[in-house]
Amino acid sequence: MSQSDDTGVAASAPFGATEPRHTHPLTPLANGARFLPVALLAGIVLVGQNVDASNLVLGLLLTAAGVVVISLLIAGLSWIAWRRLTFWFDDQGDFRVASGVLTRTERRLQLSRLQGVDVVEPFIPRIFGLAQVTIEVAGAGDSRAQIQYLSRADAQDLRNSVVARAAGLHPDVGEAPQQALVAVPSRDLVISLLLRGSTVALVLLTVVIVVATLMTAGPVGLLWILLGGIPLIAVIAEYFGFYNFTIAKSADGLRTRAGLFQVQAQTIPPGRLQAVEFVQSWLWRRKDWVRVRITVAGMASDDDQNQSGSSFRQVLLPVAPYDVALSVVNEILPGVNARKTPLHRAPARARWRAPIQHKFLGVGWDDRVFVTDRGRFVRRLAVAPHARTQSVRVTQGPWQRWLDLATMHLDSPVGPAKVIALYRAAEEARQLADEQNARAQIALKTDPAGRWMQAGNRQDDS
Amino acid sequence: MAGKSDSTFAPPGEEWRPISPKLAVVRRLVMLFWLIVITAAVAIAFSVGGYAVVAGAVVALAVIIVIWQWWLIGRQVKVYRYVEREEDLLVTSGILFRRLVIVPYGRMQLVDLVAGPFERMAGLASVQLHTAAATTDAKIPGLVPSDAAQLRDRLAARGEQRSAGI
Repeated sequence: MSQSDDTGVAASAPFGATEPRHTHPLTPLANGARFLPVALLAGIVLVGQNVDASNLVLGLLLTAAGVVVISLLIAGLSWIAWRRLTFWFDDQGDFRVASGVLTRTERRLQLSRLQGVDVVEPFIPRIFGLAQVTIEVAGAGDSRAQIQYLSRADAQDLRNSVVARAAGLHPDVGEAPQQALVAVPSRDLVISLLLRGSTVALVLLTVVIVVATLMTAGPVGLLWILLGGIPLIAVIAEYFGFYNFTIAKSADGLRTRAGLFQVQAQTIPPGRLQAVEFVQSWLWRRKDWVRVRITVAGMASDDDQNQSGSSFRQVLLPVAPYDVALSVVNEILPGVNARKTPLHRAPARARWRAPIQHKFLGVGWDDRVFVTDRGRFVRRLAVAPHARTQSVRVTQGPWQRWLDLATMHLDSPVGPAKVIALYRAAEEARQLADEQNARAQIALKTDPAGRWMQAGNRQDDS
Repeated sequence: MAGKSDSTFAPPGEEWRPISPKLAVVRRLVMLFWLIVITAAVAIAFSVGGYAVVAGAVVALAVIIVIWQWWLIGRQVKVYRYVEREEDLLVTSGILFRRLVIVPYGRMQLVDLVAGPFERMAGLASVQLHTAAATTDAKIPGLVPSDAAQLRDRLAARGEQRSAGI
């Protein structure tokens, strides 16, 4: 969508400005309380190290007092910041946040470029009944605003009115109705996490450490056992993070929601999806389970951007049967069945470059998407719409050159899904790149990234 | 086999434009500078420690690396080429690791004109293209500044005409 068109629509339907308002008055307290667990832990460790048994009670009391004082201090500072933070919609219909005590900042988010609105309920604020709203627009670097904290209902209202304004609808239109698609059973989630190569390796490692410690014994051994268990915390954290995972369909996109202690919710608008990856661990194959990871534009600035691709925002489905996953992806990429797309396998000589996975390397396309397949133990089927191809590349290292092979890459924004046609015949790689470039350019003209939830676009898509 | 791969990465029929051979001079000087500094430091440390033989070996190794890099940089600059087509820009480069990037103008988000201190001394500049994908990596180094500015303006104008969202 061209710039002029966007501003034209925004100017014609601003729906008026709103008064600047503050976040919830409990925000400073919640911020102070967030430091309690960490401070308490640090305090206990300090006491344990420096105080002998006779002074234990006094030490603990002093620690508790210190922790409370620090938390109150943080709450006090947070209160000053809270007084100076206001947010509102301006007369252009865009979202503004003014904040800062010493340095005043006023940020304006152009809602016609909206990428997403998330409502997160972090653990401690959740106890206070508070939630945090993150509004993100397209742009380089930090192009988002975090509103901490609002009451749960206020957060939902803010989210709805941002989405409505971005779509050019009246802000009071309310939340689009949603239809539940999938709920991931807790049992499946646990089993899927245990059946992962990395988890199995971690468990083995932990066992080795524990056994080695028991053999060499000593009280220090306990510490080693604890340290050995630490890698497993990542798996447990993933379980908590994806606990009670649900995905629902609504007019503004797919909505995911999950979390045991901290509840996260995300809406993925169809037009913002850049690439999808179906990941199947070796041990999942018997159950034909798969995890679906997504690349959505605007995540590059994400603080939880990690390479493991297990953060909430990068996952469309933590685990589901393959056909269920395909039908969910079908909601966001209508008419696409990644598994049914005919794949061209890599030439036989690719075995000299990739002895383990060469039989599983594949590339295919239809009139909407480009599909690549790779990996033997962890199978990765990646899908990217032609209309979201940023650029294409062909690369060739010395070894590939010797074998007359080359690799074709489809460049997407930073995210977990990697679309890469490994080790094709050199001529074929070049041809793939040229053809994909042509398909991308045609798609670019006919399917430009539209406004969020644009009624017309939605009709065209389905 | 080499000929075949050349046609993969820089097929004939396009008007491939080379970059300035002066870039090779700049890169060789930078390479020499660092290698001399590092080699000198390591060699002196060894000879002070009484391992004169090791110091000699380090210097010999450095000489081999210099010869190899000298040759490689020359080849790299020679094969670094680009072509502006109707709807897209192609950049090809690399000797050991070959690369071809195709960027449609409609996907360009911004075009940078960059000149590092050594490049500036040699009167050179680079044009760097950015799309929403960080992996695009389409950089054209070794341009005469006036050409670079013109190229940047041309690319920016084409990008604007065909601009799409992401």
